[in-house]
Amino acid sequence: MITASGITKTYKQRGNMLGARAVPALRGVDFRIEKGGAVTFIGESGCGKTTLGRIVAGLETYDGGDIVIDGTPMSSLKPRHREPFFRRIQLIHQDPYSALNPTRTIHQTLAAPLALRAKQTGRGKAWMEERARELLALVGIDPGYVLPRYPHQLSGGMRQRVVIARALTVDPEVLVADESVSMIDVSLRLGVLALLKDLRERLNVSVLFITHDIATARYIGGDGELYVIYRGQVVESGPTERVISGPVHPYTQSLLSAIPVLHGVERPGPERVVPTEALNEAHPDTGCLFARRCPFRTDRCEAELPSLVSDGEQAHACYHPQRRNVIPVEAA
Amino acid sequence: MTVTSPVAPAPISLRRNFWRGVGRVLRRKPSRMVGVAIVVLFVFMGIFGPLLYPNPLPRDDNALYASPSWAHPFGTDFEGTDVLALVVTGTRYVLLAGLATAVITVALGTAIGLLAGFHRGRWDTVLMRLTDLQLTIPGLPLLLVLSTVWKFTSPIEMGVVLGLLGWGGIARAVRSQSLSLRERGFIEAAKGLGLPTRHIVVRELLPSMAPYIAMNMLIAVTGAIYAQVGLFFLGVLPFDANNWGVMLNLSVFGGGALSSTAALPYLLAPLLAILLLTLGIVLVVDAMDEIFNPRLREE
Amino acid sequence: MTRTSAPGVRVKDLTVVYKTPAGELPALGGVSLSLAPGTITGIVGESGSGKSTLALSLLNAVQPPGRIKEGSVEIDGLGNVVELTGEELRRARGRQVGYVFQAAQNSLNPLKTVGKQLLDLGRSHDFDDLPALLKDARALLGRMGLDGGRVLDSYQHELSGGMRQRVGIMFALVLNAHLVVLDEPTTALDMITQAAILKIVRDVHHERGLTTLIITHDMGVAAEVTDSLAVMYGGRVVEHGPTTEVLGSPRHPYTKGLIRAIPRLSGDIDEARALPGRPPTLGTIPKQGCVFRERCPLRIAVCDTVDPEPVTRDARTVACHAVGHLATPVVPKEYV
Ligand SMILES: Nc1ncnc2c1ncn2[C@@H]1O[C@H](COP(=O)(O)OP(=O)(O)OP(=O)(O)O)[C@@H](O)[C@H]1O
Ligand SMILES: Nc1ncnc2c1ncn2[C@@H]1O[C@H](COP(=O)(O)OP(=O)(O)O)[C@@H](O)[C@H]1O
Ligand code: SF4
Ligand code: SF4
Ligand SMILES: [Mg+2]
Ligand SMILES: [Mg+2]
Repeated sequence: MITASGITKTYKQRGNMLGARAVPALRGVDFRIEKGGAVTFIGESGCGKTTLGRIVAGLETYDGGDIVIDGTPMSSLKPRHREPFFRRIQLIHQDPYSALNPTRTIHQTLAAPLALRAKQTGRGKAWMEERARELLALVGIDPGYVLPRYPHQLSGGMRQRVVIARALTVDPEVLVADESVSMIDVSLRLGVLALLKDLRERLNVSVLFITHDIATARYIGGDGELYVIYRGQVVESGPTERVISGPVHPYTQSLLSAIPVLHGVERPGPERVVPTEALNEAHPDTGCLFARRCPFRTDRCEAELPSLVSDGEQAHACYHPQRRNVIPVEAA
Repeated sequence: MTVTSPVAPAPISLRRNFWRGVGRVLRRKPSRMVGVAIVVLFVFMGIFGPLLYPNPLPRDDNALYASPSWAHPFGTDFEGTDVLALVVTGTRYVLLAGLATAVITVALGTAIGLLAGFHRGRWDTVLMRLTDLQLTIPGLPLLLVLSTVWKFTSPIEMGVVLGLLGWGGIARAVRSQSLSLRERGFIEAAKGLGLPTRHIVVRELLPSMAPYIAMNMLIAVTGAIYAQVGLFFLGVLPFDANNWGVMLNLSVFGGGALSSTAALPYLLAPLLAILLLTLGIVLVVDAMDEIFNPRLREE
Repeated sequence: MTRTSAPGVRVKDLTVVYKTPAGELPALGGVSLSLAPGTITGIVGESGSGKSTLALSLLNAVQPPGRIKEGSVEIDGLGNVVELTGEELRRARGRQVGYVFQAAQNSLNPLKTVGKQLLDLGRSHDFDDLPALLKDARALLGRMGLDGGRVLDSYQHELSGGMRQRVGIMFALVLNAHLVVLDEPTTALDMITQAAILKIVRDVHHERGLTTLIITHDMGVAAEVTDSLAVMYGGRVVEHGPTTEVLGSPRHPYTKGLIRAIPRLSGDIDEARALPGRPPTLGTIPKQGCVFRERCPLRIAVCDTVDPEPVTRDARTVACHAVGHLATPVVPKEYV
């Protein structure tokens, strides 16, 4: 189990003449991932989703707060000793094209981490070969076809499956999937999503799913928790289905309203919310972070930053929370 | 006893595929085949050349500065020695020195560039200072000074010195390449999987840079050939080695090739050899990208 | 020669081939498609199905190693584009057909400001009144919610992905083209930005009276903005019809599969099903028979040997043997 509390991260951007500009990417994010559970983060581009995923996978440092993995706070360990903990959290990259080394065959790509594993557990070459085949079969591709091939000889979907198989070589407990299907062909996307869902059930791995497409979150982690993140702050969270069907924060409502409606199959929700402006990181962050774009803002919103309040299940950071009917409904 | 591991053949077939792929890449353009033929010819001359002729080379006192003929296709020199024989037997020194230079520049440059680029931080600062230092050493004056105490009779010595004076450029280039590659997904994934640094650098980073390094290596060979031939030509180095540069020097300063035609073949032969070898290398360099990139290799 | 009203477009039996080491392979295998004047048509399909190739053919702009091998592209006011050459063609591009390239976000010149690139465009089309062009551009950008003056003074890297996309649309419209082609206008943008861009496309389309072609791999995007929808697979248009009808009652097995593979916000999420198999590449498109048969649940014997002809029934065109069999009155498609 992983608990993150109050994670903050600020990037110092080498600015122009005005000197370095600080970009707060995360402003105190809390969440928990249960064993076998699913946690989804949604938000626009630049809201800190990738940063969060990389921090959880141990690929990026954080400034404040702490990550506790199976009871051990990472801040209490030297970087060298954190590695075994973070190895159990594997990141699936967004881009399956750059995630595999173009000069190595899939066999070589899988053999390296498996050799490490074999050494740790005192097993031999035969085990490695067998395991490579087993993992590829598990992710639904034909080992005989894939093993001797180079990444460029595989389709996007196959590549992403190989990436997942590679992550599974170290028997991880958590897979962090950052926009993992956005670069894959449409007809193949659902297959990869189904695989992630299936791995949750079969191997009991947890999935931290990062996306701006909420409908896919519903597919993989419908039974899990959903966190809506905006400019580094969680603005709404709760059980996925509940937040999707009854969002109370205007930002969540904007995100849900933006999802294209399949006219002919469904009708748009009657209360769709459209932000009044585009995202701008230069907007003030003294009051509600969404205030400049919020159609429902009042004076109070701009004065003070609302904090996350929870009713026990669903939490929101808004002074004027209200359920709105924004998601499409099945056409008759 | 029998090996029956299920996917064992993969690595083996891979090797074979590599060479078959190289063949295919070379055959793709006739110019590449020409390049390979030229380079092979010179390598052959370098290895077997000195065995083809008696040592020392026979002189024909009746034919000083003879014009080209069947017996002497490029004529003879001031002592009546066959110019072609001189060129052929001189190949070994030139090639060996070039090769030694290339190996040293590439090995040092790549190792230092990789280390600096991959580790960044303190390593980077120290190594890049070192590189800057190397780059600021004035090569030619230093060689001039060195040659007063050192005779460079062995081509390897020559190569080592040229190599030590020339790795800076490659180190810089390799560093910037690894800086960009280390941000790539597959390097990050390897780190995340806990693979050792040695594996990441040798198995993941290095092959991605292979075409680049191979190209630099071939270019370093040409550079080194020019440099040493130049040194001998200028007469900076003593003439105990049989070398194309020495021939150029003697033809110009001894035979007056620039003012009279008698020594012209004597001047042209080594020049032609240098040009031909350079051309061969340049034509082969063109194939490097495709050879080391599995996608381009397999069409 | 400039038109002031929306042109119609008729593509007929268009075959485009790319030269590969394995010979010339067809990326488009006899495509016929018409765009009614004043409508927004969408083309959906997977990577490699030939969408961009078809779009480029509308301008006769397929680049070597590709070439248009057969067929015609008739655009009202321009004639058969396939027969245009040189100067005529260059003038048609921009003046009559505006094009927003795939990954327009990255297709601006990084070394010049947007305004400078606009002036270059104006000059290359012999515009005398450059200030008026700038004014038009500013107005268009303002129309799309941007500060026109600032954007024209900006370099590419100073603009966000969504802003660059809008700049791309401005370039396509500023010379007053009435046929606009947008290749993947929202790919790589997040949902809110995507929604904003789509709204702009729709609004501008109506305000200016355009004929618009939108290429996308996202059914949702097509559903949001288009009037009519063509589905491509392996270099063929396999289904074409009014968008709501195609989505509401798809006929071709591929269309059905694609729609079923979309996870949705409403309804039972577990009804979403992945399509088996994978899309063909240029080299693996079957030479004869139906291109979709490897992945088709309805495959019958004839599918292996005969490429199904597109047949049109009540304004809907489908190319499938299984669907063709049900047809009662079959009328071959008219190219009005
Ligand atoms: N320059 C080229 N040389 C060879 N083949 C090409 C070339 N350009 C495109 N193709 C091939 O033509 C086919 C159609 O390509 P096209 O770019 O039209 O696809 P698309 O539907 O636009 O795909 P995407 O969704 O990825 O943009 C593909 O199989 C592609 O590989
Ligand atoms: N390496 C970096 N250096 C500087 N700023 C960064 C870096 N990575 C991300 N950021 C900034 O942090 C913010 C959050 O980015 P990111 O986590 O990538 O968001 P998302 O994944 O939600 O699109 C953005 O403002 C982005 O520009
Ligand atoms: S706090 Fe105010 S500005 Fe912020 S989301 Fe709620 S209503 Fe809008
Ligand atoms: S023609 Fe045959 S294979 Fe092709 S889509 Fe129709 S039923 Fe399937
Ligand atoms: Mg991201
Ligand atoms: Mg395309």
